[in-house]
Amino acid sequence: MNCQQFQEILPFIIESGGNEEDEAHLKTCPSCASLVQDLRYIAEQAKLLLPMHDPNPRVWNNIEESLQREGLLSEGRRPAGQLKKNSTPHEAKSWTPLGWVMTIAAIALFAAVLINYKPKQLPSTTTLAQNTSADSAQLNDDDRQLVTQLSQDSPDAGLAYASNLREVNAYISDAQQAVEYDPQDASAQELLQDAHQQKEMLYQMATARSLP
Amino acid sequence: MMNDIHTAFVRRQLLLSAAGLAIGICAVTAHAESRKEARIDISPNGTLNIVNNSGSVTLHSGSGHQVLVTYIVHSDKVEVDQNASSKQRVELLTHALPNERPTADEAKVDYEITVPAGVSVNVTTVSATITAENLSGDIGFSSESGQIDVKNVAKSHVRVRTMTAAINLNNITSSVVDIQSAGGAVQLKDVTGQRVAANTTSGSIDYRGDCSGGGDYVFTTHSGAVDMTLPPTASVDLMARSTNGSVENAFPLREKSHNTFVPQQGRSFAGTSNSGLSSVELQSFSGKIRVKKQ
Repeated sequence: MNCQQFQEILPFIIESGGNEEDEAHLKTCPSCASLVQDLRYIAEQAKLLLPMHDPNPRVWNNIEESLQREGLLSEGRRPAGQLKKNSTPHEAKSWTPLGWVMTIAAIALFAAVLINYKPKQLPSTTTLAQNTSADSAQLNDDDRQLVTQLSQDSPDAGLAYASNLREVNAYISDAQQAVEYDPQDASAQELLQDAHQQKEMLYQMATARSLP
Repeated sequence: MMNDIHTAFVRRQLLLSAAGLAIGICAVTAHAESRKEARIDISPNGTLNIVNNSGSVTLHSGSGHQVLVTYIVHSDKVEVDQNASSKQRVELLTHALPNERPTADEAKVDYEITVPAGVSVNVTTVSATITAENLSGDIGFSSESGQIDVKNVAKSHVRVRTMTAAINLNNITSSVVDIQSAGGAVQLKDVTGQRVAANTTSGSIDYRGDCSGGGDYVFTTHSGAVDMTLPPTASVDLMARSTNGSVENAFPLREKSHNTFVPQQGRSFAGTSNSGLSSVELQSFSGKIRVKKQ
């Protein structure tokens, strides 16, 4: 047996341990012995993974036929089905028509639940997350005019007011969304009133400034 | 030897010059910083208005019918106007002199004021701190960045506004309290009354007390945290709700059979403690709300 012949039946050797001829080659060939050692280690580690269902033997046959067509595998080699000597009927899972029907029914039911279920929450936290960011909140024309006037006397004051106005505008925007989502929500309405009060407070403070 | 004598002479001259320069600097400084006092008559239910952008304002209670004012001006670019055209309204206004643009340090004025009982006080500052103790009239404080501390007030209407400054209220009883702060941290300790409300955008609210008196306690933030620490004897009907944030409850509450909303794990809860005398409403859009037992 040469190395090429040995490597052709390598999967069988990994599975079952090989025969006397295989063992004899391993003793005389360091490269094949090293390859077998690596593959055995991988096989051992693979057992620690979640159990996998072996594919249908038809799959192995198809693979072998493809390899033969491409010239990577010579004919007359042991049939692929025999490589999986330990394959038992119960390990070869296949989708029966009943299984397909049940799966489709479950998916349809899940989709129906998703369509009809409307949680009492704001629709898109992503959208609201954008609005809660003070950096993304805008200043309206009045805000910009106020900030410009303040900045003429005190640039630091202008920056402080701009920052706080953005935060308050984000507050108003979020509160408005909450009210639009559920106009009957009294808490959301209170939140909106509070947000406007915050803005009113900032404007009052800004107009009350005298010294820089 | 001549060299030694010359060196000693030069050294003595330098010392004298330095001393003279130091004395001169002190004199100039002393001249710019001036301390003044005033006694102003006011009606028992009158109003005292103070505008002081920079420095400090400290208020104490006193007897009699006069406002006792002591203030220190730190530069000659600002002055204090006293307006007492009627005893019903007294005003102390700090302002820059014409054609002067004082810096924040130059604009500083420090006030120490004794206020008669029953007199309402309104103070507006930009960065000056405001400290008030034992006042008995209504209080209205507003500051952008000057910290506000109020303690030992009873039967009053307390209104406090800040942009970023911290607000500390301690031992305020039987009062109506209204606090608004955009970004300042609000700390309330033993603050009770018929209505205690605090509203912030990003500032945190921390309440420690028993919410006694059967009043309404309403704390609302946009993104600031709300922390409430109650004693086991607190008699409250409590609701906490955070739209996009979270709520945590470590205070024993009996579930209510009827709610205006459906409690949602981690987002809202409601319950009653003891007889549920006071109403407590904690709300935040995206802040964290925590209720703890003392």
